Amino acid sequence: MNAVTSFLPYAVAAWLFGIGLYGIATSRNFIHLVGCLGVCQSATYVLLLGLGYRWGSIAPIFYDHPPGTPAVDPVMQALVLTDIVVGATLTALLLVLTIQAYKRGGSLDPEKLRPMRAGGKSGRDPGSSRVRDPERSAP
Amino acid sequence: MSPRVRVALLALAGLVLLPGAAEVIAGLPPFGSTIAQYGARINAITPEARHVANMVSAINFDLRGLDTLGEEFMLLAAITGTVVLLRGRRGEGTTGRAMRRPGRAVIPRSEAVVLACRIAGPLTALFGLYVVLHATVTPGGGFQGGVILASGTLLIYLGEGYAGWRDAIRSHWLDALEGGGALLFALCGLVPMLTGAAFMQNILPLGTFRDLFSGGLMLVENLGVALAVTGGFTQLFLEFMEETREADAPEEPGEESA
Repeated sequence: MNAVTSFLPYAVAAWLFGIGLYGIATSRNFIHLVGCLGVCQSATYVLLLGLGYRWGSIAPIFYDHPPGTPAVDPVMQALVLTDIVVGATLTALLLVLTIQAYKRGGSLDPEKLRPMRAGGKSGRDPGSSRVRDPERSAP
Repeated sequence: MSPRVRVALLALAGLVLLPGAAEVIAGLPPFGSTIAQYGARINAITPEARHVANMVSAINFDLRGLDTLGEEFMLLAAITGTVVLLRGRRGEGTTGRAMRRPGRAVIPRSEAVVLACRIAGPLTALFGLYVVLHATVTPGGGFQGGVILASGTLLIYLGEGYAGWRDAIRSHWLDALEGGGALLFALCGLVPMLTGAAFMQNILPLGTFRDLFSGGLMLVENLGVALAVTGGFTQLFLEFMEETREADAPEEPGEESA
């Protein structure tokens, strides 16, 4: 048991990061992509909390337990709190950019996004790009 | 680049990075055996030195308060960016009616939903306030409580509908909350300097350990964070919700903004 539990949380973090990256690389939809970024970010939560954990410790709050009781690392918990706030605002900002990209390009598929040109007209008109490619129907 | 090539590239990069990652994981201390010295010292010293029970709040608002100031302004910048991108195109007008998709039936809101929201809304707000106020004593703080308070406002939308939500939530107030909270936090850093102390030095009386009013300056900073997070997240909900508003006039093609 000890051999497995000594590295399992780190392996979970690496796995979460890996599947998040896989999702980002193969994404066909910006909203799906933002969700995958969230999965990547949850890997950092697991990693930080895993690094700060110690068996037999209490949460770093000395209300019910007197100060001096062994507690887990409070720095990591503060970092996770920061991480969550950053993640939430970043998700919001990316979703706004998704809305704008959809309004400009008429599609949520990153592959169909064309460079913007001066004058505000995107490369293709919104009507035609909403038609899906038959060969590229998402699984 | 075709999806297959991308996955192949990702797999290649993963293979290259895998030995390094395995090496790092093997080099980490075994899970659960020990914690970093810094955290252990904070646990040992801070309850005595700052009279607070919650170490996470002590780190966020006192020991590493400067980092939280940066985080606060990052929050402000991200929300400002959201507002500029969405509102810049839409304008500030209000119609009070949500967009209707032609052909989709409008199902009237059931009375059970309204009742549940009216009961749960004030309770959520109360719980948010409780979490905010007990930052230095029990698990909680401005960030967590602020998000709970902001999500309580969403129950207004769920229970009263779009018009009721627009009536209750005023964008100017949210701006004031958000900016005022960040300003309050920055002032908490600057005002101690007027007395000759260092930036963000805890000059207020520290209070009693395990009391609601413990931690001195931390309580004010916590309040600033709670205001900014409540205002900021409600502003986010508002801006996204406004995307469903019925447009004032038919959109002209090729408009130039945002």
